[in-house]
Amino acid sequence: MADTAETAPPPGIAVAGKHLAKRFGHVKALIDASVTVRPGEVVALFGDNGAGKSTLLNIMLGIHRPDAGTVVIDDREVRPHSISEVQGLGVDCVHQDLALAPDLSVVDSMYLGHEVVRKGLAGRLGVVARREMTVRADAALRELSIKLPSLTVPVSDLSGGQRQAVAVARAVMWSRTSVLMDEPTAALGVRQSAIVCELMRTVASRGLGVLVVSHDIPRVLKVADRVTVLWRGRTALEEPAGNLSVPDVVAAMVGYQADAS
Amino acid sequence: MKTVADERDPITPDDADDIRAIPQPSVVVRWLSAGGTWVLLLDVAVVIFFTALSTNHVFWSLQDFQALMLDGTETLLLALGIAMFLGAGAIDISVGSNLVLSSVLGAEVMVHVMGTQGARGGYPHVLGTLVLGFVVCVAAGAVYGAVNGVIIAYFRVNSLIATLGTAGIGTGIALLLTGGNDIGGLPTAIQSDFGLSTVGPVPLPALVALVIAVVLWAVLRTTRFGTRTLAIGSLRLAAERAGLRVPRHLFSLAILCGILAGIAGFVDLAHYASTTVNGHTNDALAAITAVVIGGTRLEGGKVSIPGALWGAGLSVLLQGGLVVVGVAPFWQLIAVGIVLIVAVCLDRIRFLRRASA
Repeated sequence: MADTAETAPPPGIAVAGKHLAKRFGHVKALIDASVTVRPGEVVALFGDNGAGKSTLLNIMLGIHRPDAGTVVIDDREVRPHSISEVQGLGVDCVHQDLALAPDLSVVDSMYLGHEVVRKGLAGRLGVVARREMTVRADAALRELSIKLPSLTVPVSDLSGGQRQAVAVARAVMWSRTSVLMDEPTAALGVRQSAIVCELMRTVASRGLGVLVVSHDIPRVLKVADRVTVLWRGRTALEEPAGNLSVPDVVAAMVGYQADAS
Repeated sequence: MKTVADERDPITPDDADDIRAIPQPSVVVRWLSAGGTWVLLLDVAVVIFFTALSTNHVFWSLQDFQALMLDGTETLLLALGIAMFLGAGAIDISVGSNLVLSSVLGAEVMVHVMGTQGARGGYPHVLGTLVLGFVVCVAAGAVYGAVNGVIIAYFRVNSLIATLGTAGIGTGIALLLTGGNDIGGLPTAIQSDFGLSTVGPVPLPALVALVIAVVLWAVLRTTRFGTRTLAIGSLRLAAERAGLRVPRHLFSLAILCGILAGIAGFVDLAHYASTTVNGHTNDALAAITAVVIGGTRLEGGKVSIPGALWGAGLSVLLQGGLVVVGVAPFWQLIAVGIVLIVAVCLDRIRFLRRASA
């Protein structure tokens, strides 16, 4: 599946959470959760509802701060306080939905917050170089083999799968170390999910770490290099995906392996 | 059409136009289907209607149009601010009282610094007085807007409620300062040199408002600020996730809205050489109506500056026309109200059809 064998073994850590703990009032969302993503690999994060997947992701994105444990980005321990700070460190996220403003064009959506301005006075006034942005966005989409009818139509004219593909392309464009994906296929149909899963491999093959939170175990298991399973706020399983079948993952998700070990 | 999957040829900027080109409707079709265009056509129809109806076609006169333009200037300035703010999904209904308070403060300052009338009826520092008055009006409008902005952007209070509150406060302060009486006796130069002067056939204040409209239209279409404004109004969460500082952006828009209300306040002083503290209770409604008729979406994400212009034009045309044909001008309120409801209904129908498609 993964072609990482050809290259040297992954050097460091693209993004990781180590021994994270977090409680909200009386609820212990995370007790001791760890996940590590190396450059060029796809790591699947599975877990039942309430296992702590979202909390883990939100801590790595700087939305929540952990009570204990550390976040590592690009081999450095960091204490992020906001999404933009994490984005500045080269990590970007693809959300389940509501990731793009429907009234913006594809180009403007991909460059939102990173707009390229023209040279000279016009640029100082914030006039965007839309032509240049269009060419570069087009190149970025082509590199990921994403097909769209047009880059100037509003995002609301695209299908759900196309929108998610644009969201992935956007995240890839602005991330230098890794892309986190929160249920990227949850709102999609079968064919569209397949496209997004394929995209995960394409993204990883460019040397980025990919962390996928998903309920779509069979499909994501096929594209993942490694699997991490959370169970009641703890890391219950960390294995190469090749060693695992769907029932293995499900067993870990409901706590079977955690009880056994 | 090119295949995308396996083609990796370098793309030059010249290719940009035909990359994945899907047939776009022609400029004419797009213009006709744009939200504000039918309001422009309605404007033309109203002009023709009143011209035909008025005795000796007096409605069709330069003098009349100049008067209408001057009447519409303040509505347009307020409408422009509201349109920008609505683009980001927030509304300012305090613009009318901002206008009044700014003009009162500007007038107070001007009356204090203009000095005593000279032997020939002139004042010692006319130009300085006018410039100072303008600066005070704009600054007061900006501060008013900043107060709105803090409440809306940083305390995250619903903008309708926030500005409903500040509208009452602003009007109250203006009435307290003036005791409910207008401040008159401003230097007449404010009328002759600005308020009632014309550039070619266009009243100077109207020209200023039109230039501001063109600038804001360009800002929305071509700048980072414009794109981000529409992104916030379109889906705030997406804008936040893209790393935009949404509160700061809303704060700047609130100040912009306030500055435009301050300019409108100065225009009001220049028009009448006096404040009109009781004449602006319907201003915010008129401006919002103009904006919404013109195709700007109330929920944000879509703004039509030309539409706001045509919408502001419609209300003054109706008002002026009804006066000319001798109908009680109160009908204007009813007519504009009907147009507003029809416009919003049409927009709703379009939205529902699109949603079900």
